[in-house]
Order: sequence, then C-alpha cells, then structure tokens
Amino acid sequence: MDIGTIIAGLLTLAILTFLYRDNPIYKFAESLLIGVSIGYTLVIVWSTTLMDILFRPLFDSGQLVLIVPLVLGLLMFSRFHPRTAPLSRIPIAVMIGSGAGVAIPVMLEARTLRQMTATVGPLISDGGFDFSVLVVLVGVLSTLSYFYFSREHEGLFGRVSKIGTYFLMVFFGTTFGYTVMSRMSTFIGRMEFLLTDFLRITK
Amino acid sequence: MRRLQPRHWVFLGLLVVITVAMLLRVPLALRTSPETQRLYDYLNELPEGSVLLISFDHEASSLPEIRPIAEAILRHAFERDHKLIGLALLAEGTVIGYRLMEQVAAEYGRTYGEDYVYLGFKPQFIAAILSMGESIPVTFPVDYLGSPYTSLPLSVDIGSYADVAGVISITDGSLTTHWIEYAGARYNLRVLGGVTAAMVTTYDPYVSSGQMHAMIGGLRGAAEYEQLIRVSGGGLRGMLAQSASHIYILLLVLLGNIIYWREQRKAGKR
Repeated sequence: MDIGTIIAGLLTLAILTFLYRDNPIYKFAESLLIGVSIGYTLVIVWSTTLMDILFRPLFDSGQLVLIVPLVLGLLMFSRFHPRTAPLSRIPIAVMIGSGAGVAIPVMLEARTLRQMTATVGPLISDGGFDFSVLVVLVGVLSTLSYFYFSREHEGLFGRVSKIGTYFLMVFFGTTFGYTVMSRMSTFIGRMEFLLTDFLRITK
Repeated sequence: MRRLQPRHWVFLGLLVVITVAMLLRVPLALRTSPETQRLYDYLNELPEGSVLLISFDHEASSLPEIRPIAEAILRHAFERDHKLIGLALLAEGTVIGYRLMEQVAAEYGRTYGEDYVYLGFKPQFIAAILSMGESIPVTFPVDYLGSPYTSLPLSVDIGSYADVAGVISITDGSLTTHWIEYAGARYNLRVLGGVTAAMVTTYDPYVSSGQMHAMIGGLRGAAEYEQLIRVSGGGLRGMLAQSASHIYILLLVLLGNIIYWREQRKAGKR
C-alpha cells in the first residue's frame, strides 16, 4: 500500500470521528485540509496567473500594457490603510463596470428570454395535448403570483398564489432529496475507498 | 466514554447499511434517464476524432461523486476515439482533472498531445470562457505541462470554440451556468454537463429549455452511463448502497413522524 493511500485513509477516519463528537483528531484533519487547500490554490494562482499572465509577459516580453492591470491590482491593497483606502474603489469600479457590462446581456438572454420561450411552449403539438407544458405554465404563473406583494393574497388571487406555494414545496422537496442523495454519494465514495483501497476488504 | 445519543445510533445504522450493501456487491438494473441517454447518444453519434473540451469545474471535496461521472464520460470519449482538451476553472480541480485524464487515457492507450491535452487552470472563469471564445492559444499559451499550446499536434489547429464540437463541464457548483451563458448563448457552443446530484435541480431548467444539451446527474447518472457503455465503475458499485441508504433515511423519517404523532397524542390526552 502506498503512503498516499495510508494518509488518505487515516485522514478520512479522522474526519469521520466528528460524527461521535468534536475532538482534537478531527480538528487536526480539518485544519490540515484548510491549510493544504489554501496553500495549493495560492501556488496554482501564483504560477498560472501572476507569473504566466502578468510578470513573465511584462518583464520578459516587455508587454507594457500589462502595467495597467498590475497597478489596478496593487491599488486593491490600498484598503489596508484608512488614508489610502478610497483608491481601492478604482479597481472595484473597473471590475463592477466591466463585469456588469458583460453579464447583463447574456444573463438576460440565457436566464430570462430563453427560459420564457421554454415556458410558453405549444399546449397542443403533433402528438396531441402536452400535459407537461400545462404544468410548467400553471407552475410559473402561480409561483410568480405568490411573489407579487402589491396586492392582498385573497379571493381568486389568493387561491392561485396558494397553488404557487405547492409548486415551491415540490421544488424544495426535490432539491432537498437530491442534496441528501449527493451527500450519501460522497459518503459511499469514501466508504468504497476505505473498504477497497485502505482496508482491502473488497475488490 | 459518554453514553451514545440518538444521533450516534442513526450514524451507526447508516454505516452498517452502507457497509453491508457495499460488501454484497449486488448489481442493480437501472432505467436510463433521458438526460443521460442524450449525452451518451451525443458522444456516440459524433464523428470519430471530434474535439471536445472537458472542463473540471469542481473542488476536491466532491471527488467521491465527481470521479465516477468523469471516468464514465472520459471512457466513452476515448473509446469513441474523440480528441479531448481538458482544463479547470477551479484551482482545486486542476490536478484532479489531469490525473483522471491521464489514468483513463492510459486504459485506452491514448497519447498525450495527440489524443488529449490538458491546459490546466485559468482564474476568473467568466473572463476565461469569453477569452477562449476569441482564442484558446491566447488564453492558454502553454499547457499544464509547460509545452507551448501551438506545439502540440492535437491543439495546433484548435483556435476557438468554432473548432470544437462542444464542452462537457464536470461540476459540483454553478460553473456550468457560466458555460451556458457565455459560451453557449454568445458563441453557440454546445454545452453538456456532469453534475453532482445536489446541482440537478439547478440545471434542469437549462436542459428543459435546450440551453444545456444533456446532463449526467450524480452517482445515479454515473451508474446509468456505466451501464450504457458496459463498464463497471464506481457508479454501478455504489448503487445498491445508495438505494439502501435512501430506504434507511425514509424509514427514519417515518419513525420520526410516528414518534412525533404519539407524543402529540399523549400531550393532547394530558
């Protein structure tokens, strides 16, 4: 058995000890995970971002235009002193401005227009009446009515918004069910590692 | 030693259920979902030698669930002789993606540089996705191993999304959404996904609206895919344990409700 498997097996067991109660072995494994994750991310970002995209092209290839992002990046550090803190608004403004400019058109297209198109599909198609289209239509309209707060939820409007809450509950239930499934899958994956690679009980 | 509390018994019960189910190794027959079938059909019907982007957009913590999904997709792609360009938009997925591609490529005797390339990690995922739409060599001047992008036989002719058939984003979060919104909506790149079960409801509307072509969801999806490609992997091996754990949780929910109902009745009598 290689050293990596032994370390991974022992750390998995250390993390699982939390199921009994909080303890120093768990805390050690948790701190190690956080430390390794941050260290790994720092190394990756340093080598593939700062070195590859900024420092090497700027200092080795002389791409002077890169001074602009370098200065903007350095201005972010001005937040650490109260007197220079306002300068950090410049790179933040650039980020928000460019980010919003890029994001708004595509999000409007992908999240609103195309979803609306999918919602108002034909109720009757070649194969006859499409019940699922009706369910989607009723679900969208009733759920939207639930989030309309400019009018009292009473009478017909109240009943429609009540139907919306049922659709919401189905969504929450489904999402929760999938989340449980996901957590179980993670546990099963670790158990398979423990039983097969670490303890070698199964093949 | 402290006295065990009810939650400890619940955990112990789950441990026993999953361990026994995994030791039994009974294969379950699964019905393939339309989303999984669509991804299988897509890879199956692509002409041999088509170039696909595989984006490892996940963290290390979700590896137990992500691994069977990624392995199933990679096995099918390599078996069909497609050419794969791997990358990661989350730093933690970088080395995981490389190792998975290297491992599955070795199973099928594929060669680095000719059959697959790994570009590594690029920060600021939205900028990276948009930049690749304009030029992949500019976004990734060198690959993960440090070779110039244009020096590799596979990538030398791949300039942008126009030269690839699609992207398969393997994710445990919302990163596939950005592939859909920026690469799909803007560059008409076909987006497919391998996602953790917790993210299935997030991506369902995109599949329904046709913005996401197909999706494998969670360990179950991986098992369905393994069944389709006739390879026994982590998905199929874990299915009995998955089903047993769900039944166990359902029984606990029922038990909890019965206890609650009885206590309510007792309180009503008093």
